[in-house]
Amino acid sequence: MAAADTTFRGDPSTRSGPAPAWVVVVKWAAIALVVAFGTLVSWRLVEDGKALFVVIIAFVVMAVVAVYSTRRAVPLKYLLPGMLLLVAFQVWPIAYTAATAFTNYGDGHLLSKEDATASIIANSVQEVPGSPRYRLSIAVPQGQDPAKGDLTFLLTDPSGKYFEGTPKGLEDLPTDGVEATTTGKITKAPGFTILDAKQVNKRGKELGEFAVPKDNGGIKAVGLSEAFEGRATVTYDKAADKLTDTSTGKTYVPKGAAWVPADGQGEAYPQGWKQNVGWDNFKTLVTNSTLRDGFVKIFVWNVAFALLSVISTFMLGMLLALLFNDDRLRGKGFYRSILILPYAIPGFVTALLWMSMFNQDYGLINNITGLDIDWLGNPWAAKAAILITNLWLGFPYMFLVCTGALQSIPGDVREAARIDGAGPVRTVRSITMPLLLVAVGPLLIASFAFNFNNFTLIFLMTKGGPFTDGDVSIGSTDLLITYAFRIAFSGVNPDYGLASAISIFIFIIVGLMSYVGFRRTKSLEEVN
Amino acid sequence: MHKRAFGAAAVTGVAALLMSACGGGGDAASSSSSTSSASSSTETTTSAPAPSPTGTEAPVRDQAADLVIWTDADRAPILTKYAEEFGKENGVKVAVQISVDLRAQFKDATKVGKGPDVIVGAHDWLGELVQNGAVAPIQLSGDVASKFSANSIAATKFNGQTYGVPYAVENIGLMRNTALAPTAPKTMDELVKMGTEAKKKSGGKVTNVLIQQVGKTGNAYYTYPYLSAFDGGIFATKANGDYDPNKVIVNSAGSIKGAEELAKLGKEKILSTNVGDENAEGLFTSGKAPFFITGPWSVPNAKKAGIKYEITSLPSLAGGGAMKPFLGVQMFYVSAKAKNAVLAQEFVTNYVPRKDVQLALFEQGGRPPALKEAYDEVSAKDKDVKAWYEAGKDGKPMPNIPAMNSVWGPLGQAAADVISGKAPKARFDAAQKEIVANIAKG
Repeated sequence: MAAADTTFRGDPSTRSGPAPAWVVVVKWAAIALVVAFGTLVSWRLVEDGKALFVVIIAFVVMAVVAVYSTRRAVPLKYLLPGMLLLVAFQVWPIAYTAATAFTNYGDGHLLSKEDATASIIANSVQEVPGSPRYRLSIAVPQGQDPAKGDLTFLLTDPSGKYFEGTPKGLEDLPTDGVEATTTGKITKAPGFTILDAKQVNKRGKELGEFAVPKDNGGIKAVGLSEAFEGRATVTYDKAADKLTDTSTGKTYVPKGAAWVPADGQGEAYPQGWKQNVGWDNFKTLVTNSTLRDGFVKIFVWNVAFALLSVISTFMLGMLLALLFNDDRLRGKGFYRSILILPYAIPGFVTALLWMSMFNQDYGLINNITGLDIDWLGNPWAAKAAILITNLWLGFPYMFLVCTGALQSIPGDVREAARIDGAGPVRTVRSITMPLLLVAVGPLLIASFAFNFNNFTLIFLMTKGGPFTDGDVSIGSTDLLITYAFRIAFSGVNPDYGLASAISIFIFIIVGLMSYVGFRRTKSLEEVN
Repeated sequence: MHKRAFGAAAVTGVAALLMSACGGGGDAASSSSSTSSASSSTETTTSAPAPSPTGTEAPVRDQAADLVIWTDADRAPILTKYAEEFGKENGVKVAVQISVDLRAQFKDATKVGKGPDVIVGAHDWLGELVQNGAVAPIQLSGDVASKFSANSIAATKFNGQTYGVPYAVENIGLMRNTALAPTAPKTMDELVKMGTEAKKKSGGKVTNVLIQQVGKTGNAYYTYPYLSAFDGGIFATKANGDYDPNKVIVNSAGSIKGAEELAKLGKEKILSTNVGDENAEGLFTSGKAPFFITGPWSVPNAKKAGIKYEITSLPSLAGGGAMKPFLGVQMFYVSAKAKNAVLAQEFVTNYVPRKDVQLALFEQGGRPPALKEAYDEVSAKDKDVKAWYEAGKDGKPMPNIPAMNSVWGPLGQAAADVISGKAPKARFDAAQKEIVANIAKG
């Protein structure tokens, strides 16, 4: 922090004298660095045409300069970095998600209307039937700059005749002095400078629009050495806002963020565009019976999963911690390290491993126990399988935190309990547990929030399945997060708008539950 | 205290939001594997689990290059060699970069103007890529197009426009462990009979008659041949040969007959939802089954395991015809937002159709080349290639229309349910309804 000198002194009234010279130098160097970095980033953003971000960066840099260049605003010197990060990584994503929730953003609706229309027209270019393919060299008139000169097509038709093509039209090219390869590509022509691959490539954008007009269309380049005669069959009438397919005579009008046939017959163009849909996504969630029932069903399981996971892992972890905290036990260090192993192995490896162990025919679990349970195919068995796996994954963490908390409980409290005549069970229940819960209570809530969104486990083990209701959008072990993911990124038609609406619901739910939870832990702390 | 508690609540809440909304970067990697859990099997993926979640970020476009190609890790080395040659011929710098989840990463990167100029991918991505304005048409001359197999060229078309140049065609067939089953079965009944005998004779070593990926969520790609054997299928075709998204035929009479066959095989424990992509290949390579319905991607591991195998066409079903698989075509696409459109077009239209390039790409994946000349040369030497080609001779390209995304899940699940005992007609009727509803929604 550049301004450490001023902040360390804290209260301005006790401040004495100017800061040492080297501190001032470091401070201003750091500020200059921030300004330089900001300038560099804005530069690139300007090149990308992102005006809004340039403005934001300007504000950030100004804030940094304003806060750290003076001796005033001491608290802000501490708070600014945190605030910036908060805005960048938390406020901005929320705002962005919320904004997306009001659009139809998703597959087939990623483009703007202009881009979608341009794409439809570009994709409609067809070769004019019966037209020849030309060998092509791209040139500029001699003496002109290859990077800027007038583009000219030097063409050879299949019969070996040479042409010169410009936006004005096609003209014969005098054969005198023209050299060509065996395939007919012109390599030298008097009066022209032929461009090399790199030079042509640099002018790719112009070439995209360049065409030599001909009766039915235009001659356009295909790569470096071939040209064809083509025409776009779709035209856009901006005034009437409609598309016409000249090959079929059909017209298309915009409806529901896509070009649909004006007469209602046939298919719309696949390229749709992004637009605002107001509260539609939220309305769909609330009114569509499949989505609504699915949401409720998944929500219930999600809460049960998170709660049961926390309870089961905590119980097992705590019991083991109590056991291994006993002074009489030898080799505690060894046992403890063994117990932490499941926690040290990457979660996705464990999940995949357990998935294969739960296989009905080939899995270890059915083989050892002699059971014939369809662990991953039966909705209830799959739920149990998920909970068992999560118990394995989660108990070492609880074991760790409980061990830590237990060791911080002074021995004399327990001794006092023993002297008062309490047995071991009573001691645990009345002395150890309350003291333990004060320490680990907030962690249990954090664990709840984590498990509420335990995407990896579900996705790797069951992908949300089994899907038993004849509907592959809502699975028996789906969490809200896997459900939202499926809607957003996979499945039928990725719909980021709807998924954003769902994640806003999740946000509100987890936020509320965590809030209530933390209020409750406050009451635990009142034990002391 | 109050404030702190609320702060913590907000933090956890935001974490939830972050995971759900912005998880795109990291998590999107796993997305397409589920979008097309079925179609992904047509890529290079074997039964190995998905690549670890680490290092799944999209590559950063090489700014210095004059042509940027994105491909998967398997194909990158061979492509690099030819890209360099192309660069030398034209005096430009070509960069070949590896993307682990090309379909999604290409779409996302192109949207923000950071995508490559050329990608190598499966043809069934086409509809989705066109829908999102990510790929540009290719004006392949008739002469060049006629050098490719008709099926492979058909697969590169969408709504009558060509969008790429193919290099390989792949499909599933029947792989047989010749030690356990010396002769190839013509019909499914024969297969079951031979397999059951092999099982009896082995004294417990052989546990399965036939290995086919089903899994708890099913697999539409491996289900389709059962439907096609009775002239059923997924979409009816339009007059011009394109698949018609408005005519779903999942519950047509033929498709139902296919479903009944699946139900029968499920009842006889020939097919099982306990065999999925995680264990199918392992069961075959450990010699536990004489028959395996799979594609060229399983050959390397079978060889490695020392299994003596032979590849033949899929058997025919009683009361119907031969099972006809879907064809998957591997092709080169040019990005609609290519910064180096000229070189991209040049590379794809003039360089990819070269015989030596197609042969080199064959060496990597073992898929039959799409260029006829290259196929002829390869198939004369390699009987596997010829067998794969024969197995797919009557197959049709997998639908590349976006509506296909609405099919994979419901059809796969319906097949899995039927195999585990649900009534075929009712279940496929339900799947048909679900698919039609999903298409209407999209």
